[in-house]
Amino acid sequence: MASLQEYLFVSGLLFAIGLAGVLVRRNIIVIFMCLELMLSAANLTLVAFSRFNTGPDGLPDYNGQVLVFFIITVAAAEVAVGLAIIVALYRARQTVDVEDLTSMRG
Amino acid sequence: MPAYWLEAIVVALGLLLLLMEAFSNSKSKELIRVVGIGGLIFLLVPFYFAVAPPADNAELARFYVYDRPAIFFKLLALLTTILVLFMAYDFRKTLNRFTEGPDTEHGTGEYYALPVFACAGMMWMASARDLVSIFVALELVTITFYILVAFMNRQVGSLEAGVKFLILGALSTGFLVYGIAWIYGITHTTNLETISQLLAANSSNPDLHDGISANPIPLLFGLSLILLSLAFKIGAVPMHLWIPDVYQGAPTPTTAFLSVGSKAAGFIVTLRILDPFFSSDITRSQTTIVVLALAGLTILVGNLTAIPQTNFKRLLAYSSIAHAGFILLAIAAWHTGDDDTLSSYQAVAFYLGTYLLITIGAFFVLVVVHNSEGSDNISAFDGLGQRNSLLALCATILLAAMAGLPLTAGFYGKFFAFQLAIESAHTNQILWWGIALGFVGVAAGFYYYLKVVRAIYWRAAPKDDLIAIPRISRYAIISLTLATVILGFWPEPILWLIGA
Repeated sequence: MASLQEYLFVSGLLFAIGLAGVLVRRNIIVIFMCLELMLSAANLTLVAFSRFNTGPDGLPDYNGQVLVFFIITVAAAEVAVGLAIIVALYRARQTVDVEDLTSMRG
Repeated sequence: MPAYWLEAIVVALGLLLLLMEAFSNSKSKELIRVVGIGGLIFLLVPFYFAVAPPADNAELARFYVYDRPAIFFKLLALLTTILVLFMAYDFRKTLNRFTEGPDTEHGTGEYYALPVFACAGMMWMASARDLVSIFVALELVTITFYILVAFMNRQVGSLEAGVKFLILGALSTGFLVYGIAWIYGITHTTNLETISQLLAANSSNPDLHDGISANPIPLLFGLSLILLSLAFKIGAVPMHLWIPDVYQGAPTPTTAFLSVGSKAAGFIVTLRILDPFFSSDITRSQTTIVVLALAGLTILVGNLTAIPQTNFKRLLAYSSIAHAGFILLAIAAWHTGDDDTLSSYQAVAFYLGTYLLITIGAFFVLVVVHNSEGSDNISAFDGLGQRNSLLALCATILLAAMAGLPLTAGFYGKFFAFQLAIESAHTNQILWWGIALGFVGVAAGFYYYLKVVRAIYWRAAPKDDLIAIPRISRYAIISLTLATVILGFWPEPILWLIGA
């Protein structure tokens, strides 16, 4: 079985890819996907820690896995609201590029 | 009545308002506004009689705490929401113009229902003592604010603000959950009370098996990620970039709600999360340095970039960053309180209490001026002294209070923060840097706040017709200004509320 370090490395890599995508990409939809990637990386970390932090009875510590369900639910709500806002912006401006969000300066 | 019913009642009220919006045929949203405001005001009665939930309920006690800071920040959340709903009442003309069905109230009902849900989230944040409940409550507030910021969907500025807020908000959520995952992985718990006990056990016995005292780096890594996401909520450097644009683009009541309610809730969560890390010898010095660096940078960036602003809403945005810096200074100077000094909890609570009165008052003034002039620029205040002397006087007092002029409530907020920092600086020399930057910030603050006062009294008015103040705004502005002045002479009511 893979060790805790390997899981943490993969999840850290996922988080870094997501963060880099948010900083580099210009398309709001792609940025949003990268943000979801960051949340998935956190979920993977939680599940890995939960699996390897066994209690005295040898069972995983389920608190972390319960938190994963909360995160999935909240992420779904966030996507529902977020995509609606992006669609409204597209209707008003015909663009989903962050470079075009320039109506406020100062 | 156990305290957790309060949040349940607030959520039930919010659902009732949404159902009224969905099923009533009425063209006017008057009923929703009245029920929302009336319901929240009525809630102050059961709030007075609320008691802490029974301690033998271990599962509830793990997630929910009802102590003095919790009570004070719940009260702040309720008062802010009530005042914001009043402000939305007077803002409705602008709101109607930029939503579907221009110049009708069609499609604006949710705007009066959603702040109630945000209020429930803030009240939960005030009581949360587990990273899970903190996360869920915080997201309830943040997701509600996404909608409130982007609500004027016929105005590009509001939508752009919504998208910017959405991207940075979701980014901070990512940091928060990744940080929580690491803290959970190291400590095997998400409960802040248990983390505190664990750190105490580790500092008294460094050879404990989990090796936190030998290598606290993973724990501090998790804490820094959480701090980054909280910096987004409270508007501190380096996550402050969204504030000016979002404040400028969002509907003004939302801006007021963001700058007071959301910030206050963010600060109580920051205090609760940092409490175990400041109390332990293993992590205290690193935590102090990080929070102090955030405070110093926030004070500098907030105050110095506010100087060249020409838009009053943007000025208030930078001022809100600056205030966050002063509050962070009180947190960096962590103190558990004694006879002479307030604790960090109390100093932060006092600052935010006075900040609520002053900032909401200033936003009410802005709504009145905006309704009359159609602009948020400082030039819209030109000659206000001749056009409405009462409004000009109140605006001047509120701006002076924001700068921290003595004999206003704003002075005591800054005074207690600096007193705390100086008290702690005797044992921790590095805090003098924060204090020095703080004084630079206060001096800069006087300049840019009084710039608006100069526009009010020393600039010629472009028109000489009088500015009319709607009834609700008039009562709100006068009572908030009076409270600012009275608390400047006599701060005892807030001190009594925070238990000092």
